[in-house]
Amino acid sequence: MDQAVNRVARWLTEPVPKGRIAAFRTLIYLFVAADLVIFTPWVRAHANTPGSLYEPLLVGRILPLPTPTPLIVHSVFWALLLLTSAAATGRAPRALGWAVFLLYFEWMIIAMSYGKVDHDRVGLLVALAVLPTAGRARHGDPERTEAGGWALRVTQIAVICTYFLAAWAKLRFGGPHWVTSSVLAQAIIRRGTDLADLVAAVPGLLIVAQFGIMTFELLSPLIFVVPQRWRSAVVAFFYSFHVATFATITISFAPHLAALTGFLPLEKLRPVEWVRRRLGRAPTATLVAASGSGAASGSGTGSSAGASSGAGAGSAL
Amino acid sequence: MTALTDRGRRIRVLVTLVAALLLVVGTLWGTDDDFPFGPFRMYSTAPDPNGDAKDTRVEGVDISGRTVGITEANSGIRRAEIEGQQAAYVSDPSRLSQVADAYAEHTPGATPLRSVRIVVRWHGVKHSRPTGTWTDQVIAEWTKP
Repeated sequence: MDQAVNRVARWLTEPVPKGRIAAFRTLIYLFVAADLVIFTPWVRAHANTPGSLYEPLLVGRILPLPTPTPLIVHSVFWALLLLTSAAATGRAPRALGWAVFLLYFEWMIIAMSYGKVDHDRVGLLVALAVLPTAGRARHGDPERTEAGGWALRVTQIAVICTYFLAAWAKLRFGGPHWVTSSVLAQAIIRRGTDLADLVAAVPGLLIVAQFGIMTFELLSPLIFVVPQRWRSAVVAFFYSFHVATFATITISFAPHLAALTGFLPLEKLRPVEWVRRRLGRAPTATLVAASGSGAASGSGTGSSAGASSGAGAGSAL
Repeated sequence: MTALTDRGRRIRVLVTLVAALLLVVGTLWGTDDDFPFGPFRMYSTAPDPNGDAKDTRVEGVDISGRTVGITEANSGIRRAEIEGQQAAYVSDPSRLSQVADAYAEHTPGATPLRSVRIVVRWHGVKHSRPTGTWTDQVIAEWTKP
């Protein structure tokens, strides 16, 4: 029993390079800024939505959070934009990270308390909740971190839950005959593109697509057991599913797509280094000078599992 | 490697299990109200393969008699939000006056609305494919007194 628990604990905290955490952190916090102004700009419109249409979610009633007013909505918007931009630099990961998480959570309650709850951002919310616990991380740093490993692992689990538990929800609300229902036909009627109209014209194709969706959602947890070299291919398949969804019914699931990058070796992406090299400048060790991190940078990727020490306690909870 | 302390590891495992449990409970028994632990119920219903498909829209008629579509862009209210509170609008159509207020707030200079209505367009569906036919039904209407 103890052995099984230890194995699960080791899997949940499997170390990853700090460079990956730094890249994921930058990407996620930049996404939050983009979400505010590009992907879900309608949230800000709730500043002028009559307060009587506000029907707070359970969490909004428990806390209890105030009915949004123009002052509240615009204050949260600008504070979030400012703080998430600062957090994207990697500085003060804990203080800025918690502030961004709390403000974004309030932002989501403002977004979803007017009669419609979206289901595309549990992965992003989990990423925002755990990134403050991942400790300092510099871009390009190959040293491994267990705290960072846990942050990525639980984000990955949340992303897969979005598929796997969506299949459960289909069985709960629609039943087994969901796969032969007219659910996709209805979606296409409501928000289909020209491409979707072409797809809908082919007899039986929407039913085949429904079988495919249910199968892929139920099998999605297998990503955790496929060999590492196939994992990126599985992630590419997930992305292709969302490309198809966007091309047919214009649903982007953008926050989920951002969280999905938690499966990828993001430390290999060094856009600033690449630009510097192209400009003929000598590459530097880091993109962000995270002052006082004390992180070793020259230890190479070999310092992985087994090479543990007590020195990393600073990044524990 | 930066390792976790035993305490840090234990807390993380515990937090993971509690959050996963909440998500599973929310999926099996929860509702949207339980966000962020509610069920992932996007497109989870199983509509009749030969039943009509519902396409809701909100429109207003301004004092010059022109019909305008009420959208997220000109009112700040999403169609899905109207649908989510549809029962409240149907039982109390005067609630649509707030949609007119939101439209006036978001579209300064627009001709004021005289009435607002929620219209459902029922599209025909046969063998899980659209037939291309439809009928409209007004389910709630408010006219400025």
